[in-house]
Amino acid sequence: MTDATIGAAAGTGAAAGEIAANAPQRALGLHRELDRAWANAPGWRGQITAVSHTTLGLRFMATALVFFAIGGILAMLIRAQLATPEGAFLDTEIYNQIFTMHGSIMMFLFAIPMLEGLAIYMLPKILGTRDLAFPRLTALGYWCYLFGGLILIFALLGGVAPHDGWFMYTPLSGANYSPGVNADVWLLGVTFVEISALAAAVEITVTILRQRAPGMKLTEMPLFAWYMLGTSVMMLVGFPPLILASVLLEIERAFGWPFFEVARGGDPLLWQHLFWLFGHPEVYIIFLPAAGALSTIIPVMCRTTILGYGAIVAAIVALVFLSFGLWVHHMFTVGIPHMALAFFSAASVLVAVPTAVQVFAWIGTMWKGRPEMHLPMYHVMGFFLTFVMGGLTGVMLAIVPFNWQAHDTHFVVAHLHYVLIGGFVFPMMAAAAYWMPQITGRARIKGLGETAFWTILIGFHGTFFLMHLTGLMGMPRRIDVYPDNPEWIWLNLTSSLFGFVMTIGFALFALDLVLQAWLGPRSPRDPWRAPGLDWAMRLPPPSYNFASLPGPGRLDGGAQAAQGLARGEGLLPGAPRGRREVLVTGVGSARPEFVAILPGNTALPLGLAGAIGVFVLMMLSGLYWLTLPALALVAALIWVWARGMARGRDAAPVEVAPGLTLPVHTHRQDTLGRTGAVCLLLADGTLFAALLFGVGFLSVVALGWPPPELTGDPELGAGLIAGLVAGLGLGVVAVRLGLRAQGRGGAVLPAAAGLLANLVALACLGWLAAAVLDDPTRHARDALRGVLTGYVGLHALIAAGMAAFALDQARRGEIVGARAGCLPAWRLWQDFAAVTALIAGAILLAQGAGG
Amino acid sequence: MSFLARSIAGPMIWAVTFSVVYALHGAGCALGWDGVVAGPVSLQRAALVGSWALGLIAGAALLQRLPASGGMRAGLPRAGAWTGLVATLFTLFPVLVTSSCDAARAPAIHLFTPA
Repeated sequence: MTDATIGAAAGTGAAAGEIAANAPQRALGLHRELDRAWANAPGWRGQITAVSHTTLGLRFMATALVFFAIGGILAMLIRAQLATPEGAFLDTEIYNQIFTMHGSIMMFLFAIPMLEGLAIYMLPKILGTRDLAFPRLTALGYWCYLFGGLILIFALLGGVAPHDGWFMYTPLSGANYSPGVNADVWLLGVTFVEISALAAAVEITVTILRQRAPGMKLTEMPLFAWYMLGTSVMMLVGFPPLILASVLLEIERAFGWPFFEVARGGDPLLWQHLFWLFGHPEVYIIFLPAAGALSTIIPVMCRTTILGYGAIVAAIVALVFLSFGLWVHHMFTVGIPHMALAFFSAASVLVAVPTAVQVFAWIGTMWKGRPEMHLPMYHVMGFFLTFVMGGLTGVMLAIVPFNWQAHDTHFVVAHLHYVLIGGFVFPMMAAAAYWMPQITGRARIKGLGETAFWTILIGFHGTFFLMHLTGLMGMPRRIDVYPDNPEWIWLNLTSSLFGFVMTIGFALFALDLVLQAWLGPRSPRDPWRAPGLDWAMRLPPPSYNFASLPGPGRLDGGAQAAQGLARGEGLLPGAPRGRREVLVTGVGSARPEFVAILPGNTALPLGLAGAIGVFVLMMLSGLYWLTLPALALVAALIWVWARGMARGRDAAPVEVAPGLTLPVHTHRQDTLGRTGAVCLLLADGTLFAALLFGVGFLSVVALGWPPPELTGDPELGAGLIAGLVAGLGLGVVAVRLGLRAQGRGGAVLPAAAGLLANLVALACLGWLAAAVLDDPTRHARDALRGVLTGYVGLHALIAAGMAAFALDQARRGEIVGARAGCLPAWRLWQDFAAVTALIAGAILLAQGAGG
Repeated sequence: MSFLARSIAGPMIWAVTFSVVYALHGAGCALGWDGVVAGPVSLQRAALVGSWALGLIAGAALLQRLPASGGMRAGLPRAGAWTGLVATLFTLFPVLVTSSCDAARAPAIHLFTPA
């Protein structure tokens, strides 16, 4: 079949209702065939080479629970210290490390990975596909998370954990006030973990947009997917400012480039802005997946459908945007002009509206249905009670005069715990109770879960409600003793006692999960009679989820759809070619477009995460020169990674249903990889925008400006900047020529020209840095110029690497006919590198290319 | 314009307007625009109110262009447009009423002291 007829076939498949069912086959035969292609390798090797979303999703969640337990133990140490006014339980230094690690663990090692794990595990099942878009990236994300987390935990055990609070304010976290490695552990460890967050965000976005079951239009997809789409986009935009802030602070600490140091033109408030640009959306990044779980669970528990699907989707869109306009409410007391305070106060009040829309939709759903008080509903009720209280204190804190009084007190501690435990932990416990039969194939042991719920609920409110009062009485957060404030004693003692009650509750909850997984009786196939595709499979789920993929007419059948799918009556049945195949569909229409072949088990993600880990450890040790071989190893492994997906031959089209034959992804330019690259560039663009914000902020606000005169040769500087931009621009032309010559296999010359152009750009950049730019330790302006140059240099270097890869592919004959190889991804990157270089070059010229 | 792009167009207008007004506010205060007269108001106020008005006009124009009916494919873009317009109106209305560049400081009192 020619490409034209394949396209026509795909086109006819567009009218989803026209897709015919495949003939039924023997389910056991299909299972064996699929399991051979999709199962993890046996034994210990399977543990390190697994790329399956089911395995990795569970691993993410289990690891997050372990970190939750560690964070919980630290919380108990804090409560033990505060139970009496002059607690001698912990000294101040250890106390500082413990409350810093408690917050950091709960945020970065529990909440975010837990939501990632839930999404990684559930989304393919809910959307009707066999895996996420980039399985090796899932595995890389997990190993980065684990290694980054272990760095933090080992630092805690070694007594060198971060001790500056979980938001690491400068100048306290700068080299002058935190001279040891404690702050470096946070900056490098958390950034290492954030690789996994960005990886998950790319995965989730691409999977939701491109891998929904045929016929599952965006306007009809399950709400959990809408929530996760909002979350993942927020992660792509929210995390880069924190990554930038961490990189800048680490550069300041390691090399003395001043970004946050007032004396040399920096400003500590830049850290606060960048941190909270991440930090406030982070609250919604945590809340939205939990709300997605609630929107899934509540209608099922109430034997009805969700009320106000469209209103909830609109509320999600509103939250995604508005949550980025609130960050300054964390900085109301730093001396910001009235008008800016009013902007952010108004936005902080307004964001309550879309949140309330969801709460009322859930209440309405319960009202119109017949609620059944199974265990998940207990936790849903715990959510309502707790989260609404936390939301209301949030509105109080959004009002500037009140915020000024309550700032940095235990009132804020109470508020954030009401929001995070109410808005995330209770929904996650509901989700656990709801999906554990799906995950384990076992029903729970009755009674224990209810006991755990009541113990947690009573313990939680007993602990944190009282903190509102201690806060209003003026008790600051993060103090370890309060000998002069006897009025806080009984409140703190009571909080501590209830804290231990809550801990017992969480221990019972964990015991309930373990007993269910270990000893629970076999669960019926769909214990909740839920309509979703997540129940349209064997329990526990097989390695491939669906023996044949659901299509129109099978999208809301729940367990009733399972049998037909297991017999191969859906699309793309079995694995007759021995490959991991999934269907890729159109973004809006969910029309089947092509078949993507996913990679199999590999230890490459573990190796790559290990190489990144070596880089992090070399940075932590101060062995900066040894970071270069580590980076070279990272680059080499990325090359091997990309080679793993290269195809030297045409792949035959695949018949996914009678009359519907589709090409495989190597014959398309709009691949999953290209969509993933767009997502990555969204994150990268946000990081660049945050850097421009930093340039603007320091130029306008910082006290130590104007900076000293530039000393470089201005004409040489301007010429080199022009050469840099021209080199990257020629790369843009070269990649387009390569795409034009792709059909006849003539991409060798354009790829070589693109490589040369990028190398010329790099040479100009190197010359600029060596001969024109001033010492970056002199002033923040010079440091920012250095960072801008470094940013452009890194992108030019990667562009050169992609050109080299394209050249290699072209020489091997992998770019010919319909196979574009890496050219589409290179084009995206080259365009981005050229545009950012143009902007950075314009800034350097505006500041004066030289003296 | 695709369904997703139409759905986020309204909030995008808010995001751009909010960013521009906030950036202009910071830049104007640093450059002393508050002391520069521009007709009946200061240059600072004129720049901020002008940017806000442009955002409102863009939001209203978007709302005008979107179809009024057509299920969720039309409803979500309209809801997004309303979100953007209301957010622009509500979060930036302080450009009309508050002083611009004087920094606010918190008085140190406690709201609640036990008897």
